Amino acid sequence: MIRAVLTRRQFLQTTLATAAASTLSSCGWTLAEVKTTPNTRVDSDTLYIYTWTGYTDRDLLDRFTQETGLKVVADVFDSNESMLARLQAGGAGAYSIIYPSDYMVQKMADLGFLRELDHSLIVGLEDMFPMFQNPVYDPANRYSVPISWGTTGLIYNSRLLKDVPQDWEYLWEHQREISKRFTLLNDVREVMGATLRMLGYSYNSTDPQHIRQAYEKLASLQPAIASFTTDAWRPQIIVGDLLIAMCYSADAAEIMPENEDLRYITPKSGSSLWTDTLVIPKSAPNPEGAYQWMNFMLQPEIAAQVVERLSFATPSQLAFRKLPKSLRDDPTLFPPESVIERSESLAPISAAVSEIYDRYWTKLTSA
Amino acid sequence: MAVSSKNPSNLPHPTPKTGLKQKAGDLLGPLVLLGPAGLWLLLLLVLPTLVIFELSLVENIRPGDVVIPDGIANYLRVFDPINLQVIGRSLFYALGTTVFCLILGFPVAYWIAINAPSRWRNLLLLGFVLPLWTSSLLRTYAWITILRPTGVLNSFLGFLGLPALELLNRTPAVLIGMAYSYLPYIVTVLYAALEKLDRRLLEASADLGAKPTETFWKVTVPQSRAGIAAGSLLVFISALGDFVDPELLGGASSMTVSRLIYNQFLGATQNWGFGSALSMVLIMGVSIAIALLLKYGDGRPSK
Repeated sequence: MIRAVLTRRQFLQTTLATAAASTLSSCGWTLAEVKTTPNTRVDSDTLYIYTWTGYTDRDLLDRFTQETGLKVVADVFDSNESMLARLQAGGAGAYSIIYPSDYMVQKMADLGFLRELDHSLIVGLEDMFPMFQNPVYDPANRYSVPISWGTTGLIYNSRLLKDVPQDWEYLWEHQREISKRFTLLNDVREVMGATLRMLGYSYNSTDPQHIRQAYEKLASLQPAIASFTTDAWRPQIIVGDLLIAMCYSADAAEIMPENEDLRYITPKSGSSLWTDTLVIPKSAPNPEGAYQWMNFMLQPEIAAQVVERLSFATPSQLAFRKLPKSLRDDPTLFPPESVIERSESLAPISAAVSEIYDRYWTKLTSA
Repeated sequence: MAVSSKNPSNLPHPTPKTGLKQKAGDLLGPLVLLGPAGLWLLLLLVLPTLVIFELSLVENIRPGDVVIPDGIANYLRVFDPINLQVIGRSLFYALGTTVFCLILGFPVAYWIAINAPSRWRNLLLLGFVLPLWTSSLLRTYAWITILRPTGVLNSFLGFLGLPALELLNRTPAVLIGMAYSYLPYIVTVLYAALEKLDRRLLEASADLGAKPTETFWKVTVPQSRAGIAAGSLLVFISALGDFVDPELLGGASSMTVSRLIYNQFLGATQNWGFGSALSMVLIMGVSIAIALLLKYGDGRPSK
């Protein structure tokens, strides 16, 4: 920052601030204050859910309507942050169920947006794998029910690549051969986190020195990166134009059947372990319906069907046991214990640290 | 505003033409005609812009914070070299797109307006605007399919025995995609300008011995100057706000100012203050461009 130099600048600042304060008499209001009282004006025969793309399909919604008589309307978001922004801008009052990821559950709970769950109303929480019984982001599942999980890793074309990637390091070592033929996720925390992890630091490092090192490492790779994208890599890796893409395991599992040469690995040095959950916001107009949805999604048969049809991994042991062997042994969907041990979940970071990440990200994507 | 208050009989509602009532009618006319749009603009453009302005004066404000304007720190941050570089790239994309659109769009508009049989004109124009009926995202994805290394374009070049082109994830792809997106706009505007071209002047110019290029530069261009200015500005402004094309086609170095603003509001940092300051700078830039158009791009061709 260029502050603390000019008295004229300070003068200007003060003058402008005064001018603004006097012209805009509305100052002192709270930006994006979120309503935490139930929204009762919404139709109670309908359950509005706010979820990720690919988490529901017509069959699933129809089945729920059959079982409960409630109509379901599913809207989708493409990132936790845009979901939160919509909630904060007051545009999410109709939803009784939202699907935030781990770190966002923690953030939303800290902001006081979430309704504490009544565990006596939920059937199936105790059947979760132990790692989901008491998650770091939401101890004892006070606010959230895990619904899907996975890792972040690399999908690659085994026919076109000479060596098999084992770690993030591969991208740097083979920069020349794969130049402009690989993509990274369009997500600051995932990309910087993977690099931090490769350098031996935590995915959630808040040390500016570590973050700078990760940026410098990435900057040396930048000219070879085709693009930062969370979705657009799919058609291109299927046809073989891309050799490698950084992606979420659920997305990899979804597209791997389309090209038999595609493989997915969870990097040796570690990966981010993500969990998507179900939460009920305080503003939920239909909390009974929300509990019905939770119980519906936790039914082992439903959960198992969803794994087969929409290919995302279930955290429920009962549902896991109902799966055919081929799916249970699929390392993309259900990574082995050794991989999970090396992985970390993304944790919320303070605004100040977030600024540091964002600044490096802007630099990286505009080099 | 095209409303003439001296001419109440032209207004679309019955207005008595006598005395006081006429005066009331004189007032009522513009009010009825402009009121709804005016209210719309006030509520959905002027007020939100004022809120953005207020937020831009609060350093690093995030949702949940109390809004107390405290200075221009957010604006000073806009001039950080990193952010200037991003703004520079946006300007480059927008200018490049405008130039491409003008070069590609002018001949088309000229041909439709001057040479095409008059009964075909509307149909031809419609055909040109037709792509706008599909989602812009879809059209951008189509360009990925065309430009990718083994895509439609390179298959075709290979078929002709020509070397493959590496266009995707580089600047040329962005300019191609954006020029394609905004071409219909400039063609429509240029068509409207060229259609009014006084053809007798073209004939006179030819009769008096001017070469076609001279006629073009000295007669056609000056007469359609207003259309060229309006069309270019329309493309420039729309292109300046585009981040879908640069992001999907431009590869790893495609951060634009609109994406930077998006990141401040919908990204992890949630710095709505800085985002608002960037938005205000963008709004100011566009306003200046429009002011220039109003001053220099008026309908009268210079003689």
